Amino acid sequence: MSSAEPIITISGVAKYFGKLKALSGVSMNVRPGEKVVIIGPSGSGKSTLLRTINRLETIDAGRIVIDGSDLDDPKVDINKVRMEVGMVFQSFNLFPHYTVLDNLTLAPMKLRGMNRDEAEATAFALLDKVGIKDKAKVFPAMLSGGQQQRVAIARALAMNPKIMLFDEPTSALDPEMIGEVLSVMLDLAKEGMTMVVVTHEMGFARQAADRIVFMDHGSIIDEGAPSEFFESAQHPRAQKFLEQIL
Amino acid sequence: MQTQQTVPVIEQHDGPAIPRKSDKGLVSAWWLSLVVSVGTLLYLVLVEKGAYLRLVKFIPDGVLVTFQVTIYSIVLALFLGLLTGLGRVSRNRWINLIASTYVEIVRGIPLLVQLFYIYYALGRFVRVPDILAAVIAMAVCYGAYLGEIFRAGILAIDKGQTEAARSLGFNRAQTMRYVILPQAMRIILPPVGNEFIMLLKDTSLVSILAVADLLRRGREFASETFLYFETYTVVALVYLIITLLLSKLVSRLEERLSYYVKR
Repeated sequence: MSSAEPIITISGVAKYFGKLKALSGVSMNVRPGEKVVIIGPSGSGKSTLLRTINRLETIDAGRIVIDGSDLDDPKVDINKVRMEVGMVFQSFNLFPHYTVLDNLTLAPMKLRGMNRDEAEATAFALLDKVGIKDKAKVFPAMLSGGQQQRVAIARALAMNPKIMLFDEPTSALDPEMIGEVLSVMLDLAKEGMTMVVVTHEMGFARQAADRIVFMDHGSIIDEGAPSEFFESAQHPRAQKFLEQIL
Repeated sequence: MQTQQTVPVIEQHDGPAIPRKSDKGLVSAWWLSLVVSVGTLLYLVLVEKGAYLRLVKFIPDGVLVTFQVTIYSIVLALFLGLLTGLGRVSRNRWINLIASTYVEIVRGIPLLVQLFYIYYALGRFVRVPDILAAVIAMAVCYGAYLGEIFRAGILAIDKGQTEAARSLGFNRAQTMRYVILPQAMRIILPPVGNEFIMLLKDTSLVSILAVADLLRRGREFASETFLYFETYTVVALVYLIITLLLSKLVSRLEERLSYYVKR
């Protein structure tokens, strides 16, 4: 697997919010099946970086290529690219006016041209996988945060994406619900999904990550396998961050 | 739990109140007003009879016209309002400019003047039935107001909804259609309902054109019989009863559109 071509190539990316430099000179490759966990203090640009991967944020310099498609190439249909890149948000963002089931079937039916039976079969299988099959006909408002986030993961998976992005998926959850979401993510990791995860859950990072990427002030400062990184982070700022968080 | 479901409230500046279940005082007031107005009307017609009985036989044509003007205007205004609201949030500079200019112009001219203007200006070029001219004028005016409400409703939907839809691969138009507008509809219903009721009342202005609406029929009756007090008592009661029923309809609709909100 290590010899495979990267499915995500990020090179020399810079991003400004007005005068504020959110990202500068960021380069990173992710190979198919690899799990990359991005950590760093708040404001370090890790969420911004994640959001550039499906172009929810545009970039001001550099290049991002997803599975052969250059995101800034005008010939590339960004909507096609996004169909292959699932995303899970901190605040779930389920569609409140649709039932759980319809949240999962909407995109496959409208975008993949699936018929209802097919889409619902897929949806039920995914809901079973994330452990909330019995809530299929319920509206999101009736679910707990942990349940909503599991539905959100299932919704993204319903498009059968090649890559999954997670933007602090447990940060808005009550502590007792974090575990159920992380265990769904761990299962997904074991199945070989390509994952890029921004999180503060160091336990998850240790268990699931092939590589830890540490960001600060809009740049990647340090990276490495979890064992090396957590035991012997090279960069002083990474060391300091780990001291505070562990 | 995440407070994802908080409902943005759009300010209601004027117009009649919608009797929501949560507002006990208003619900009681609604029933009181309905009972009193219907009771008074029945008393006048069945007990006092005379002029009142003749009035209720004379007026129904006008009520029908008022309904017609109201319904056609609402449909057309909703269409214009949706287009305007979408135009107002459009990224296309020209579309945005056109929609915004329409709103600016219409909001700056009194409805009565617009009615005269569209009625007579239209009349210079094409011959259209009076009622159609009235409907167009009402719709042009209310389309601008509704456009602003649509815009507010669209902007009130959390940005995360758009991001979630776009991240799945929906384009802008699909995101608007499947995700944003259905949710916007629910939160704009109260102010839109208010506009409907105001529109209904404002249709009385078309009586100055040659449209034989409720008010116009009343005036015709009064100028023949000189029974001004009796006439306007009945006209006022009929308007009140209609708007009361309409406001109830709006509150019902509001409940139905809120099916997905946790209470």
